[in-house]
This record gives sequence, structure tokens and C-alpha cells, in this order.
Amino acid sequence: MSDEIVVVGLSHHTAPIALRERLSVEPERLATQLGELVGSGLVAEGVIVSTCNRVEVYGTADDPKSAAEKVRAFLEHQCEGTEFAGQVGPTVYARRGEAAVRHTFRVAASLDSLVVGEPQILGQVKEAYEAASSAGTVGTLLGRAFTRAFAVAKRVRSETEIAAGTVSVSSVASALARKIFGDLRGRRVILLGAGEMGEAAAKALAGDDAALTVINRSPEKAERVAGECGGRAADYMQLAEELHRADVVITSTSAPGYVLTTELMKGVAKARRGLPLFLIDIAVPRDVDPRVGDFENVFLYDVDDLQQVAQENLAQRKRAAESAERIIEMEVAEFEAWRRSLALTPTIVAMRQRYQAIVKAELERTLPRLGDLSAKERKALDKMAGAVVNKLLHAPMTELKATNGTAEGPIMVAAAQRLFGTLEPAAAHDRPSLVSDGLVAEKTKA
Amino acid sequence: MLILTHFAMTALFYGVACGLFFVTLSRGHEGLGRHAFPALLAGVMSHVVYVAVDLMGDDTPPMSDIHSTLTVLSLGIVLAFLFATWRKPAMAILGAFVTPVVLVFFLASSLGRSVAHVPAGVRSALLPIHIVVNIAGFAAFALSFAAALAYVVQERLLKQKRLGGIFQRLPPLHVLDTFGLRATSIGVPLLTFSIISGVLIAVRSQPGLASLGATQLFAVVAWLVFAGVLLLRLAIGWRGRRAALGTILGFVCVLAVLVGYVARAGGGA
Repeated sequence: MSDEIVVVGLSHHTAPIALRERLSVEPERLATQLGELVGSGLVAEGVIVSTCNRVEVYGTADDPKSAAEKVRAFLEHQCEGTEFAGQVGPTVYARRGEAAVRHTFRVAASLDSLVVGEPQILGQVKEAYEAASSAGTVGTLLGRAFTRAFAVAKRVRSETEIAAGTVSVSSVASALARKIFGDLRGRRVILLGAGEMGEAAAKALAGDDAALTVINRSPEKAERVAGECGGRAADYMQLAEELHRADVVITSTSAPGYVLTTELMKGVAKARRGLPLFLIDIAVPRDVDPRVGDFENVFLYDVDDLQQVAQENLAQRKRAAESAERIIEMEVAEFEAWRRSLALTPTIVAMRQRYQAIVKAELERTLPRLGDLSAKERKALDKMAGAVVNKLLHAPMTELKATNGTAEGPIMVAAAQRLFGTLEPAAAHDRPSLVSDGLVAEKTKA
Repeated sequence: MLILTHFAMTALFYGVACGLFFVTLSRGHEGLGRHAFPALLAGVMSHVVYVAVDLMGDDTPPMSDIHSTLTVLSLGIVLAFLFATWRKPAMAILGAFVTPVVLVFFLASSLGRSVAHVPAGVRSALLPIHIVVNIAGFAAFALSFAAALAYVVQERLLKQKRLGGIFQRLPPLHVLDTFGLRATSIGVPLLTFSIISGVLIAVRSQPGLASLGATQLFAVVAWLVFAGVLLLRLAIGWRGRRAALGTILGFVCVLAVLVGYVARAGGGA
């Protein structure tokens, strides 16, 4: 039986974060864990993908079902003596063969991620693969599966809109700011108020190297938030002057009425002499009078607008995921065809070697009887012998390849091995029966 | 016959490039979009051959009549576009706004084939410089117009909160505004030099007879509007939508003058 890929693990779909944290493997412990898995014979090859959303063991085995059970027990063993003892089993899933390949491709292409299309997972899978390569636990099958998975992920990203648009309110705000100002480096961002969502948006913008100023009625709160977000605090009384110089303003106060009124903003717009201003009103009730959005070079977005964009982007990603799944199916089929051809290769090589050996022996017996042959004549004879081997093997090899992967495949391989006498003496004793399967009998009748 | 073949080939390549840029902008079809630049480059090559063949068969220097003005100008705009967007993939989408202008100018050049011989006295050493600077100035205005048009579209989408494909594919507002300002800042001094050198050439060759011809009026109108926009940008802080609308208005004035002269030349006047 040939080796198959097996994936055993748990993810955000099946397990709570506390359990994922308990099972996660730090980068420095990866080599040891992989050594344990492969060294104790649980799997022939091994890769461990451990991120905040998943802990998965990828392996190969000639008996994938038994390997999956062993890896499951291995994971359960990790939690023995902890509060999670006995809880691991139901959260663990196992995929074998084609399903495991599909899972590998889907994970790398970010189709199995919490936020579909997020870009980090590919880098994390690559790191896991590199760690396993360094630990020497990657062989032909997993090596090919992972390198294909990276290519599939790239293909999915370039051929579908899986990663288009951002899907959280803070990242939508940041993306919009970039669409107005281009590079955000050095741009002045004001965070007015200290709501949680406002802080998240401010952090996202500060992460793009924008200069953040936090303004709050409570100076202590402003100082604290400024410290957390990496900005400076400013006095509430300086709001108008700060607005003159700002590029982006995020409002997130709990004020019952408008804080940025049309009167205030008229003065601000005049002082700004046409400089664009991006107002992000995350507060409920709103902080910015909606009429301010009609001002020239002022762009006003409230929380509903941002949420709508995030939802549209998410819906777009879901649509893109459907096309991505089609790409994955094509790639899985290709991979499986390659894997099955691995099983065929030893038979084909043995058939060729056997015929070549026969021809060589016959040539060596005959050549002395032909007298003195020139080098050119010898070469021609060798060439002819090679051509005879190729032509004799052409039809059976074509048939073997054609039936490879079908129900008939293993029977054809067994038949070829018997007919061409390529079975190892030990294997010849337990050769499969052709007739018992019924297929050959039916064919003969037909 | 040869000249007609090259005209048709150039127009075809520009048309294809224009269509491909447009599909990329409106549908985000990157597969097709990848062929837009090769199509444009093929158009440029064919255009260069067309201009060479045209010049060989005609004794007049380029830009002496409305036909050759448009022929060389459309080539100048494409070259300026290729130069300005070289290694700036985000700006390549401006091709959707530039190539229609190029195509219209190039096709219009076939309508106004009136022969206007340039007197021997006018052919001074200053003439080639005057022509090159003139083309560069107009090409800069065409790019400025393309950026302004893209700005107005992008700004509208942002105000209306329609943040779909076209919005995502167009460059950021600030980038478009800066690009437009830069192109106008380059275009105005170039055209200033071109107008002064043109007047000098005309006065030197025919003192007392210098008058405003087709291309001269074309240049003066363009200069007036674009210099006005630049002045307003620098003096009273015109930016964004207002500056973009001013630029578009300037280019429309240029087009209006152009249409007038093409119609006159086409009518045999």
C-alpha cells in the first residue's frame, strides 16, 4: 500500500482558544515535537502547523487511519494532568488522503481561516514547513504537498478577489485614509474621545506611521490612551487648532450631541484652505453633524458606513471563496494523479529494467557470433534493441497509466507484475487475485 | 498607401490599448489589462513610423498645420504618459483617461490636412526647440487633464460612499492631485517658453505681419487657463476637486479651439 497524507488537529472551528493555547507549540519546541512524532513511528513524515487559530499535525503513513488515531492520542496525551484532560478528543478532526490534501491547500489559501482571505496564514504555514524541513521530517509526499499548497495559495490570491478589501471597521478606516492620502507616514491623526472602536482605528492608523494626537475631556484618559496607542495627548481646549492641522479625525466620544458642528467645521475648513480632511465618526450617537460631509474636501464616514463596507468586502470574499474552491479542486485532482503515479513508478521501472536486461543478455550472446562489428554498427544494434524494448512496453505502459487511479488500476498493476515477472520473490507469494475481484472475469465475458 | 496603412495600424493599436485600459479600470480584468501597455507600445512604434513617413512626404516642419500638430502632439502625449508612469504601476490605470485623448487627437489629425508652408525665413535654429518644447508642454497638460478627470471620479465615489472596484483601482486622491499639480507646473513654463520663442520666430521672419494662427491661438488659450489654475493653486490654495475642475475646464477650452480649427481645415478654409 502506498503512503497517504493525514492531517490531525483542532482549529477555531472546533476548539476554544484556551485549548488551542494549551496545545500550541512554540517555534523552539517544534523540532523536538516533530522528532517525537516521526521518531516514534506515528507518521513517516511530519509538519506541525501551530498558530493562534489552529494546531495541526500533517503526516504521511501507509495506514493513515491508524496513524490518525495515534496522532489523536498523542495530542490527548499533551493535555493529560491539565484541566483539559479528556476534552481534546471531541475537538480533534482527522483528514486522510485526498481530503487531507484538500485541507492543506485550503489552509494555505486562507479558505479555512477565521477571517477568510487573511494573508498571515500562508507565512505561518511556510514557517512550519521550513521548521520541519530543518528538522529533517519532510519527505517526497509532504514536500510536494506543501510546495503545491504555496503555489495554490498564490494562484488563489491572484486569480480571485479573496483578499480584496478589508473586513473590520478599523482596517476599513485605515484603508480609506490610504485611499485619500496615499502614504500615511507623518499624517496627523486626531483621536477625539476614547471609545474602544475608536482606539482600534487609531492604533491601525498609528501602525501606518501616522502621528497620533489624543484629545479627551479628561486629560488623564487622554494621556493613558496616547500612551497605549503610541501618540501624544492634547488639551480639549485646543481642539479647533488641532483640527486646522489634522488629516484624519476619529471621533469616539460619549457626548449626547454633535461635537464637530457645522459652525466649528466651517471655520476649520476655511483655515485649512482646501486641505482634505477625513472624518471618521465612530460614536453613537454621532459626534459629527452629517452636513459637514457636504463640505468641499471633507470626507465623512460614520460607523454604519464603515460597517457596510466591511460587510460588503466580507460578502465579496465569500463569493471569491467559491471560485477559490474550484481552483483547489483542480489542484487536488492534479496532486492525487501525481501521488498515484508514485505507486505506478516502481512497476514501470521494474518492467523496463527486466526487458532491458533480457535484451542486453541476448545481445551479449549474439554479438560474438556476428564477427568484427564496427563501433557504428554496434551502436545501431544497441539503438534497435532499445527501440524494440520501448515498442513492446508502449502498449502495456499506456494502459497502466490510463487505468491508474481508477478501480481497475491496482488489478492492472498486479496483472502487469505477474505477466512481466517483475514481482519480488517474497511479494509473489501474496500476490492479489485478479479473478476474485470480479473485474477481470467480467472483462473476459464481455 | 504606406502612410494609410501606418495610420490605420496606429489607430488600431491605440484603440485596442484604450479598450484594454478601460476594461481593466471598469472590470478589474488584470489578465486583459496586462496587454494594455504592449498594445500602447506597438501603437507608439507604428506612430513613429507614420510620423517619419509623413514628414518625408511633406516639406513642412511638424506643427505647421493642424494635421501635423495633432499627429505629433498625440505621439508626445503617449511618450509623456509612458515616461511619467515608468515604474509607477499604481499610476498605469491613468491610461484609461490618457489613451482616449490620444486616440481622438490622432484620429482628428486625419481631418485637418491643410498644407501651410512655412516660409524659409521662419526656419531658424530656434524652430526645432520651439516645436519640441511646445509638444512637451501640451503633453504635460494632457496628463494633468487625465489626472484631474481621475480625481473627480475618485472624489465623487468617495463622497457617495461607492467604494467598489473602480474606486479601489484608481490611485489615492492625494497622489492624483500631486500628479496633476506637477504636470501643470511643468506644462506652464514649457508653454511660456514656447509662446515667447514662437513670437520671436514670427517677428524675426515677418516683422509687422505676425498674427494669431490656428496653433498660436490654441497655445495662448491653453496657457491662459493652465497658468490661471497654477496661480490659484499656489496663491490661494486651490486643491483637490476645485483644481481638478479648473484643469478639466482648461483642457476643454483647448479642445474647443482645436475642434474649431479642425473643422475649418476640414472644410477647406
